[in-house]
Amino acid sequence: MEKAERETIKAPSDNRYYSAAEVEDVAELDRTWASPTGIVGWFQVVNHSNIGRRYVITAFVFFLLAGVLGLMMRTQLMQPEMKLLHPDLYNQIFTMHGITMMFLFAVPVMEGLAVYIVPLMLGTRDMAFPRLNAFGYYVYLLGGITLYVALLFGIAPDAGWFNYPPLASSEFSPGMRVDIYAMLITFIEIAALVAAVELVVTIFKQRAPGMSLNRMPLYVWSILVTAFMIIFAMPVVMVASMFLAFDRNVGTHFFEALSPAGQGPLLWQHLFWFFGHPEVYIIFIPALGIISSIVTTFARRPVYGYTALVLSIVATGFLGFALWVHHMYTTGLPQLGLSFFTAASAMIAIPSGVQIFCWIATLWGGRPQFKTPLLYVLGFFFIFVLGGLTGVMIASVPFDAQVHDTYFIVAHFHYVLIGGAVFPLFGGLYYWFPKFAGRMLSETAGKWSFALMFIGFNVSFFPMHNLGLMGMPRRVYTYIEGLGWNDLNLMATVGAYVLGVGVLISLINVIYSAINGRESGPNPWDSDTLEWACASPPANYNFSPMPAVDSLHPMWDMKERGVRPAVTGVRTDMRQVLTTTLMDARPHALSNLARPSIAPLLLTGAVGLGFIGFLFSINWLILSFFLAFFAIVYWNYPRYDERTPPWKKEGENGN
Amino acid sequence: MRKWRQTQIKLSAILTVAAVVAFFTSCADTRFQSVLNPKSTQAAEIALLWWVMLGVFTVVLLAVTLLVAAAVLRRYDGRRGELSDRQKRNMVLIGGVIIPVVVIFAFVIYSVSVGRYTASVPHDAPITIEVVGHQWWWDIRYRVSGRDLNVRSANEIHVPVGVRVKFVLESRDVIHSFWIPNLQGKTDLIPGRKNFTWVTATEPGIFRGQCAEFCGLQHAKMAFIVVASPEAEFYAWLERQIQPARQPVTEAQVRGREVFETTSCTLCHTIRGTQALAEVAPDLTHVGSRQTLAAGSLPNTRGHLAGWLANPQQIKPGSRMPNLYLRNDELDALIEYLSSLE
Amino acid sequence: MGIRADEVPFVGAYDASHLSHFNYHDEAPMWWGFWGIIMIETTVFAALIASYYYLNLSYPEIPPAGVKKPDLLMGTISSLVLLSSSYSMHKADSASEKGDVKTLKWGLLVCIALAALFLILKVFEYSKVEYRWDSHAYGSIVWGIVIFHSAHVTSLVLKTIFIAYLSWRGYFNKDRHLGVTINGIYWHFVVIVWIPLYLVIYWSPRLF
Repeated sequence: MEKAERETIKAPSDNRYYSAAEVEDVAELDRTWASPTGIVGWFQVVNHSNIGRRYVITAFVFFLLAGVLGLMMRTQLMQPEMKLLHPDLYNQIFTMHGITMMFLFAVPVMEGLAVYIVPLMLGTRDMAFPRLNAFGYYVYLLGGITLYVALLFGIAPDAGWFNYPPLASSEFSPGMRVDIYAMLITFIEIAALVAAVELVVTIFKQRAPGMSLNRMPLYVWSILVTAFMIIFAMPVVMVASMFLAFDRNVGTHFFEALSPAGQGPLLWQHLFWFFGHPEVYIIFIPALGIISSIVTTFARRPVYGYTALVLSIVATGFLGFALWVHHMYTTGLPQLGLSFFTAASAMIAIPSGVQIFCWIATLWGGRPQFKTPLLYVLGFFFIFVLGGLTGVMIASVPFDAQVHDTYFIVAHFHYVLIGGAVFPLFGGLYYWFPKFAGRMLSETAGKWSFALMFIGFNVSFFPMHNLGLMGMPRRVYTYIEGLGWNDLNLMATVGAYVLGVGVLISLINVIYSAINGRESGPNPWDSDTLEWACASPPANYNFSPMPAVDSLHPMWDMKERGVRPAVTGVRTDMRQVLTTTLMDARPHALSNLARPSIAPLLLTGAVGLGFIGFLFSINWLILSFFLAFFAIVYWNYPRYDERTPPWKKEGENGN
Repeated sequence: MRKWRQTQIKLSAILTVAAVVAFFTSCADTRFQSVLNPKSTQAAEIALLWWVMLGVFTVVLLAVTLLVAAAVLRRYDGRRGELSDRQKRNMVLIGGVIIPVVVIFAFVIYSVSVGRYTASVPHDAPITIEVVGHQWWWDIRYRVSGRDLNVRSANEIHVPVGVRVKFVLESRDVIHSFWIPNLQGKTDLIPGRKNFTWVTATEPGIFRGQCAEFCGLQHAKMAFIVVASPEAEFYAWLERQIQPARQPVTEAQVRGREVFETTSCTLCHTIRGTQALAEVAPDLTHVGSRQTLAAGSLPNTRGHLAGWLANPQQIKPGSRMPNLYLRNDELDALIEYLSSLE
Repeated sequence: MGIRADEVPFVGAYDASHLSHFNYHDEAPMWWGFWGIIMIETTVFAALIASYYYLNLSYPEIPPAGVKKPDLLMGTISSLVLLSSSYSMHKADSASEKGDVKTLKWGLLVCIALAALFLILKVFEYSKVEYRWDSHAYGSIVWGIVIFHSAHVTSLVLKTIFIAYLSWRGYFNKDRHLGVTINGIYWHFVVIVWIPLYLVIYWSPRLF
């Protein structure tokens, strides 16, 4: 079937092969796509590779900060009755650890990586809305910095990352802390949402000609599913946090237990977990894509069961929305309903099983190369399967009643999130770093880092299963002597530091190799997807000329044929890309992308003023509504050349 | 390269075995705050569920780990070592679909049947205990056969062995969660709602429970003690609890009561038989008979009581119990009095 | 191995030079982007409606005893005003596709006037309601829905003023009207999403 479709690519009319320079004026492309320089220029940059890189670096900075917070907690819990952290500070720290890892690290890093990689994989020059991309980044950055400034001043949120009212109400959490939570969560989710829309549209419209849906790399599929999940999950938490902000500041009664049935507190839990559970899959599903890329490359075989993998990723996405109540088993909801959620939660094991076995079957193909990215994926197999199995356990209502909100759960979700997302992400970092930097990371350091992370992680988090079963609730700043928890807690703390050292080695590796690493060339791993077709690091315009594809493995085709198909006739004097049809990716139209602009920064300022100003007065929110309107007008105001009559332009078109 | 592979496989094998051993040694558990030392019919059912799941899932984990190891470590001799597409398909079908479906089916049925039992709160239970959660202590009241005995205690619950005991759970401030690992899974205390749970203790003993839902600054120090005793002993204890506080005998005790009644203690606490009748803090009528202080965070000894009364904010920062700034002689008398309230 | 990706020669597979960059409907990323925003907003409104019913579960009736039911007449009149604006937006939009700039210009102004009338009617209606958002949970969610939707109508008005300004400046023509189309889609969305909200607020107290 593949063979027959390949012939649909037209043979060159003149039987001639071109070099890049013959197809397009590369110098002009360079000028057209150049990013502005200087300090003001830094805030005008819109190219997806710049924005993606900023996202990833910023997210890793937050990862390190949250990791340090985690180590502080582990140090406090090393022994019973430690006096290192005051409970007030401890509560801020564990809340910030959770918020940072979920909202400032996991989602942004996955979206940021996608912002960098997806357009390259699709063979296009930028994302559909470059300015929106920049806007999302500034929003994320401003939100994250504000949260950490709050922590420095000792007014960070302290009611846990799921922030249950009435504890989070103004009665039991007076002051600014929970307001900061409510406003900044909403604010930061704006960034997640714009990136999601942008990714969906880019994936729908800007695939290289010939990249029909069934030739789309699995990584792109996983990002597509993730983006849709973000679109349907994040708005709900924004609604919930705005309700909470209004409860606290203008006296509404959304989450209060006024009524006899006490609906208010549970409304928060329903809304929060309707977002919160998909959130976990939003973090995990991109990792499925990363793993698929790494397995394909290092097994040197096409991934086995492409269709099954796509279906299972989509199924995981759907199922993710039917599970939220399993976070609420102990709230006294009717048993019959809970049984449904037990079944639905356990069903996740089926798509996960299909994925795991498809990868095993792929690995069974060739001779796997034990490069660092693959090691992280192998680590993923053990950790994630373990975490997944404890996940099935806690889908059981009675068993969950015993371990809910204990260290068993802490162990479970760290197994799922670190195993399911951080290990693949580090694998992805080692895999794509040559593309970001043009240089290879050190393999030796990589293997050390992996070994320490793997051992440290298990030493740290495995004993927490036992701690939970032995009765240790989560979110306690200390515990008393005599419960038999001391040794395991000490072990967990030691493991956490080993894990920290492992991460540190990778950090040093990245900094060192970015300067001194061996040059990688465009395709160091001999991978199969389009991002390896362009230079490392990619030029601002990514590809010249824009590529076309006729299979899932364009790079392997290129190697086989010694030639690659290209798109001609895209203008080089403006930021123009080809748009293609949704299903078959047939060329459809040309799209002129926005140029660098300061407008995204202005809009961020306008919106940020509202959200941060709300902490002081609601009037700022209203003011920001109108300021944002002017920023949007400025953003979209037609530029001179776009106002030239169209017939003139048509005349210039074509080269 | 080969050496690295061997190290790796050895490492994962050792880790897996160590993991399983670690779990199974928890079997011989005598702890008084542990899921794995069940002392009620409900907790025993859940513990059994746990052991079955642990056994089955350990096999699954080992199988997957071995398969991955086999896939990446097998000797490679060209295309011959490769599985055919048919073999691969069967592997995905059996490993990824059929086995999970069978295991999940059995799991759901088993789990639901256990859940039906543990959640079937008997509304005709002879003994009902009302638990009200506060930041950060537990208010306890008893009803026998529907009759309110006006017995109020705090942070310590007594239950008879072999009798179904129903708990009515409420909260006055934020969400708490009521959990006695040895006896029953947790149920939340949600303001505005009433939740229920039940326990049938199978052996006498003393167990510890702890709030499991984050409830603010002192969530870590919101624990309680459960005393399971034979029925006769339980009723004898209940009889004693019904009595008002014992009158002070010694001079120091009389002085202590005076201190209690003339300082801010009476603003929050009750001692039945005195003028102190406020309900916002633990009932102290029989405080001397309790095993712990400050919601299960200190043993109830004279020394700890002195420390707690002298500086509660040191022991439990942010606690609703303020520092009293008593003179030393007042403190001594108060300790004398409170410890006499058995 | 051995082949450097940047040295492999190309073969022309597609020539894009004949393609237009004036895109209509699904040719344009912007069109899809607005559908993305509409999906987000639909989720928001769905969450609001779910919250409305969840909060009202605890009362034996909607609205809680002692609270007057919302004014059906006023609510229906203002809803009809809003619905009719969708018709004039449709007129304006299809005129712009035909290049009929005059209908476009005036159609947009009619839309703005109708939406503004809707807002005025809402302000009038809710200034007479005896409860506020801080009276009870029912009040919170009803005011929440109405204010949130009215903020959307306000943003529609602002946005359409901008579009109308551009059309009076002669920016739109037969080829270049994507801005009008997209603004129209969003306009229809805000109007259509009001229908379930209207049913929830004005009819569920009468049906349950």
